[in-house]
Amino acid sequence: MTSHLRCDEVTVRFGGVVACNKISLDVEEGKIIGLIGPNGAGKTTLFNVLSRFQDCDDGHVYYRDQQIDAKNTHDMINLGMARTFQNINLFGEQTTLENILIGAHHLIGNPYSNMLWLPSARRNERELTDRAVEIAEMLNLGDELDNPVKNLPYGHQKRVEMARALAAKPEMILLDEPVAGCNDEETAELKEIVKRINSELGITIFLVEHDMAMVMTVCDYICVINFGANLAQGTPSEIQSNRDVIKAYLGEDDE
Amino acid sequence: MADINAAFKAKMVQRKWAAMGVLFLAAVIFPMAPGVESWMASEATLIIMYIMAAQGVSILTGYTGLVTVGHGGFLAVGAYASALSTKYLGTDLITGMFVGAAMSAFVGWALGLVFLRLSGAFMAIGTLGFAFFVGTVVNNVPIFEGREGISLPKNHVIGFEIGDIGFYYTALAALGVTTLFVSLLVRSGVGRAFMALRDSEKAAEASGVNRVFYRTLAFSLSAAVTGVAGVLFAHYVNYVSSEVFADIWYSVDFLVATVVGGSAVLLGPFVGGLFVAFLPTFIELFVDQPGDLAFIIKGGALIFVLIVAPAGVVVGLVQLFRWLRGKLGGDTQ
Repeated sequence: MTSHLRCDEVTVRFGGVVACNKISLDVEEGKIIGLIGPNGAGKTTLFNVLSRFQDCDDGHVYYRDQQIDAKNTHDMINLGMARTFQNINLFGEQTTLENILIGAHHLIGNPYSNMLWLPSARRNERELTDRAVEIAEMLNLGDELDNPVKNLPYGHQKRVEMARALAAKPEMILLDEPVAGCNDEETAELKEIVKRINSELGITIFLVEHDMAMVMTVCDYICVINFGANLAQGTPSEIQSNRDVIKAYLGEDDE
Repeated sequence: MADINAAFKAKMVQRKWAAMGVLFLAAVIFPMAPGVESWMASEATLIIMYIMAAQGVSILTGYTGLVTVGHGGFLAVGAYASALSTKYLGTDLITGMFVGAAMSAFVGWALGLVFLRLSGAFMAIGTLGFAFFVGTVVNNVPIFEGREGISLPKNHVIGFEIGDIGFYYTALAALGVTTLFVSLLVRSGVGRAFMALRDSEKAAEASGVNRVFYRTLAFSLSAAVTGVAGVLFAHYVNYVSSEVFADIWYSVDFLVATVVGGSAVLLGPFVGGLFVAFLPTFIELFVDQPGDLAFIIKGGALIFVLIVAPAGVVVGLVQLFRWLRGKLGGDTQ
């Protein structure tokens, strides 16, 4: 088992509130790992720590055994990590194609030759555009390339976010609630896409999600946190029968 | 749907370039037309400078989303850089433009670093402060010769002395270069990064856009373009003084020109620059004592545009045209 992303006793405090308290987890390469927990458990905070949107006060985060606690946010993509956002965070006025192309930003090469469209940049832009179109077609967005994304339905926008993450040629994608707010049909579609990204492209997936049906059917391994601390880890069936998890979600039995 | 959209877009792009071509051709022929006097060429030169300055503002305000009320400061930096280099090193107008652009780009880069954490109204206030700062510096630091000002010799381009008409063509050529530059920039990956920062800093950074690098780059490119306009301005009147460049109204004028015309479209600064630069002359044709009438009209136009077509006159007209075509049945397909 190779560790792709690992956090070691990560602690984050906001004033007196301890959002994450010595959380440790390990994301295995090539797998789909889920992070769940009741509201306020610290999922989003941990997610932001892993994607370098949030510093941790204690503990360390390792990407392929390289410590990344002090990396810049925009450098994560060079390492091979892309992410999506819980409340869709697209460039609304721009078209689907332009949104996907932004995902490939770190592949534009030298910015000075790029902005002057020197021959090397021209070739590069063509390749990036071709690839962006391919990704769009893979995610059933081929018909929406020239539409501004603000005009697209919710489920489509979620897919544009994924396409943008894919355009970066990542080795790992962090998905922040990929099916939140989607209807059954959209959820099923996104679930298929997550599986395909993992199996066809070999990309490691780490996702936070509230939709238990989705988590249980998609993930290979699940980490549960509660009140900012590790609660349980295991395969979906182990988690489903774990007494601590049931207690955290449904409350204590009165025996 | 997508095909129709793509075809429509391609058509619009074609139309845009056709419009640009016609505009430039008209500008080239204009001084030779019968009945055109030399003051008109001078007036046209002034309009060119306003357009160029507004192009600079559009890079920062339109495409990167940072509102600037301080580009008069960069106008001054370009003007003084070229004036000093002409006075002490004897450079000609073309070299002066490069010197002005380089100096302005450097100051823009530094200002971008200072204002790294500002946005929205705070950025507007900060840049306004910058314009005042430049005014104070040129007023008090001896080398800029304050209100006395620096008089410049007659203009030269590669060894030839040029008059009003020659100056007009030089300015027009410079505008051609800046227009080409801006149009290449905003379609490139760098332009995409600017717009990504404008629309969502978080998502831009998650996509690998280095916020510090691209913000300072936007600042320096924007400053460089407006700086070239400043060089033209200095050599146009053959004189620079603090009295002219401590004036905050340039900064406001450039912002109004950019916003009214359309800050994130190539044609926007043309429409806005023409409006702002030509308005005072236009009013004088009809009113004997215009006073502050031009300011009132500019302010009114700004408010009107922000309410009716917030993306600017050019975008508003395109939308109106599209809507009308839809109403009339779209028989032009």
